[in-house]
Amino acid sequence: MIYPKLAFEGIRKNRRLYLPYILTCVGMVMMTYIVDYIRYSKTVAEMRGGSIIEEILVLGNGVIVFFSCLFLFYTNSFLMRRRKKEFGLYNILGMGKRNLSLIILCETATIAAISLVAGVFLGVVFSKLVELILINIIDLGINYSFDISFSAIRDTAIGFAIIFSLLLLNSIRQIRFSTAINLLKSENLGEKPPKANWFLGIAGVALLGAAYYLAVTITNPMAALVTFFFAVLMVIAGTYLVMISGSVMFCRLLQKFKGYYYKPNRFVSISSMAFRMKRNGAGLASICILATMVLVMISSTSSLYFGEESALAIRYPKEINAEIYTSGLEDLSDERFAPIKKIIDDAARGAGADISDAVYYREAAVVGAFINGSVEVNVANAAASVAASAVPYQFYFIPLEDYNRIYGTRDALSPGEAMVYYTRENLCLSEIKFNNGRDIKIVKTVDRFEVDGDAAASIVDSVVLIVPDLKEALGGLIELAAFNGDRLVVTEFVYGFNTGLEPEKQAEATQAVWSAIKDLDKEKYGIYSRTVSGREDSRTEFTELYGGLFFLGIMLSVIFIFAAVLIIYYKQLSEGYEDAARFGIMKKVGMTDRDIKKSINSQLLTVFFLPLGFAALHLLFAFPIIKRMLRLFNLVNVSLYGLITLICFAIFALAYTLVYRITSNVYYKIVSGGKD
Amino acid sequence: MSIMEVSGLRKVYSSRLGGNTVEALKNVNFSVEKGEFVAIMGESGSGKTTLLNILAALDRPTSGRVLLDGLDLSKIKDSLMAQFRRDNLGFVFQEFNLLDTFTLEDNIFLPLVLAGTPYREMEDRLRPIAARLGIPGLLKKYPYEVSGGQKQRAAVARAMITNPKIILADEPTGALDSRASDELLKLFAEVNALGQTILLVTHSVKAASVAKRVLFIKDGEVYHQLYRGEDGDEQFYRRISDSLKVMATGGREE
Repeated sequence: MIYPKLAFEGIRKNRRLYLPYILTCVGMVMMTYIVDYIRYSKTVAEMRGGSIIEEILVLGNGVIVFFSCLFLFYTNSFLMRRRKKEFGLYNILGMGKRNLSLIILCETATIAAISLVAGVFLGVVFSKLVELILINIIDLGINYSFDISFSAIRDTAIGFAIIFSLLLLNSIRQIRFSTAINLLKSENLGEKPPKANWFLGIAGVALLGAAYYLAVTITNPMAALVTFFFAVLMVIAGTYLVMISGSVMFCRLLQKFKGYYYKPNRFVSISSMAFRMKRNGAGLASICILATMVLVMISSTSSLYFGEESALAIRYPKEINAEIYTSGLEDLSDERFAPIKKIIDDAARGAGADISDAVYYREAAVVGAFINGSVEVNVANAAASVAASAVPYQFYFIPLEDYNRIYGTRDALSPGEAMVYYTRENLCLSEIKFNNGRDIKIVKTVDRFEVDGDAAASIVDSVVLIVPDLKEALGGLIELAAFNGDRLVVTEFVYGFNTGLEPEKQAEATQAVWSAIKDLDKEKYGIYSRTVSGREDSRTEFTELYGGLFFLGIMLSVIFIFAAVLIIYYKQLSEGYEDAARFGIMKKVGMTDRDIKKSINSQLLTVFFLPLGFAALHLLFAFPIIKRMLRLFNLVNVSLYGLITLICFAIFALAYTLVYRITSNVYYKIVSGGKD
Repeated sequence: MSIMEVSGLRKVYSSRLGGNTVEALKNVNFSVEKGEFVAIMGESGSGKTTLLNILAALDRPTSGRVLLDGLDLSKIKDSLMAQFRRDNLGFVFQEFNLLDTFTLEDNIFLPLVLAGTPYREMEDRLRPIAARLGIPGLLKKYPYEVSGGQKQRAAVARAMITNPKIILADEPTGALDSRASDELLKLFAEVNALGQTILLVTHSVKAASVAKRVLFIKDGEVYHQLYRGEDGDEQFYRRISDSLKVMATGGREE
């Protein structure tokens, strides 16, 4: 058969193009298999909270397959562009479109077969290793059995069969709709001078600016997620526009300054850059977006993972924390709590706990937002548009008596007065007016109050008001009810203590306390609901969630880095071919080898580090908004996140530079190999 | 006074393993006077491209030497070669060799910019040349926007703008239609009339017939030469083609 032979020869002769492509396919298949394998893995399924990991992985797998598809399309179009000349020649020599399609079919089948076999093989080899890493990340016992997951192979094969079929159809479509002459000349098409598209360039800059502005100024944490989503879309669009049009525009602008432009070191670089950016703007923007994604993902997931300890300490201020919600304000009294406290203490002691550092206080909580200077707690009263833009706060009312008891202070307050504690930002309020409630005068700002874990971890900032009397301070608020008839003001006892027990025992003690209070008679004790949480008890869940995210972050980063490296490689390759003739001419006209090298270097450097620079800029502006979102995951340690982001960036930049050095050698080889 | 002297030029190409050797140039001797317009003719394979590459210092001879204005090309260090070419030689190529990333104007400026010439001076130099070559309106255009003849005129402007000692033209009409060729050749004659030395390599009798002297190369040697004398273009054309006929049939002119 001639077709397989032609196909095989085609791949072999263009191995400089095909080898990285095949390697990438293999890599993608391998990653998909591994993620699939872990998803189906019994070891993972049997873990406590293995279901969280499984869910994360199903999502991750979707992202990987979708991304593989996009990415392989990108590289395949590049391959096709270079192969068209060959196909054009076959066409002229008498091969029909059908024959060409057959060659492409054989080629795609060959590549698909190699990728699947090698990818699954490597996947099987590395899957155990990756599983061990995952288990290690999540701190579990290790199971050394070795197995092959056929469900994973099936899923991977199906996924990639679809991708390769799509690639095949796309290639055939390209051949079908062009004539032999078009095919022959396709490589030289489109070398028109780049026009500076001022509109798009300026739009790109404006988009980026607006997205940055949004990211920096957004204060409403509820809106942060939606805003972040829009900001991300704007940044992506803006990056593409700026790289494609903005850069050409910038070069054109520089060319207008004759004195600046007509200098030996700038002349060639600036005018070539305009062309280079026109050709590579999209590729560079992709690299930039990928780099940003990798960095955001890896730095936030690793911050979560490494910040777990502090997150636990914040989320669970004491080793065991109980919150008992009372039916009403009248039930929120020390007398009512005494029997409940006894039950809790007995249960804890029964599990061996030595109760210490106990903190107990009463609390009334309500969510509200500042609208026209006063706090509205009833959402129904606020117009939807106003409510959406208003920043919500959690308001906690704490009796002065309890505050003085906890901290051993002797502060005194008159009715209508309060001391305030802000969990995060100091709002510098002197008075708070509650609609339907009363006006509270703030006489003092205190700098300590150990809020409960919910408040500490909440995405919403909290305002703690220490008041002389709860009933008097809440006023009419206590009467307000939500749609479902529940009171808007939540009243609860907050009780937490340390146990002096080993981690394992702590979890047991937590469970003991929970069993003791979960069936408390609601009527008898005047309670509405209750929760118990233990730091050690929750550690596994935290580790699994954060570990799972961290693991996924690593896997996706590896894939994105694959992609970025390949884009860079192909970019260098295609540029090398296109520039070889150009530098030949310059040599003839009297440019020295040194000049040429210098010019190439400065251009490559710019082209290379432009995406990295932009990625750094994106990261910088994303910082505030990501910081806010990490609060959702109890990560409030900003300096940790900052440090980890910096470390990730440094590592990434290093790897990037390495890739640059390797790929620019390929470029030099092609350029200097061109006839001079 | 001769501006270029070529003596005993020999160039041997050998295959990588040293087995086969091809003698592209055997023994070439000639000189070009200042202000002269010389055409070198020969069939493909006669060694004229090799000769031009050596004259342009793009390649080095196996033996023999080339003196440009008294300076031996083989004595120039490799690192200074590009600069030497830029300052002393002007090139016009068959394929124009304009950079598609530059406007025509910037293409013409290229050698001057590389030499560090200030913008004002480049402008002052370009204006008369562009006017003479009839391209002032095209300067802001890109190579892909203009015709072959216009591209070649821009290439001539680029060759002239450094005031080179000699312009080397390699088959400059090869990629042009007959009308554009005629115009270009007329231009060469005009430029030469202003005192510019030109060396033209071609196998077109038409192109050679505008020169003042024609050297014929065959099998790596200067085989014959013709002076225009008082002849007009057409008479010279006839004499050149007669010579070629004789060369082709193997005889030697009296």
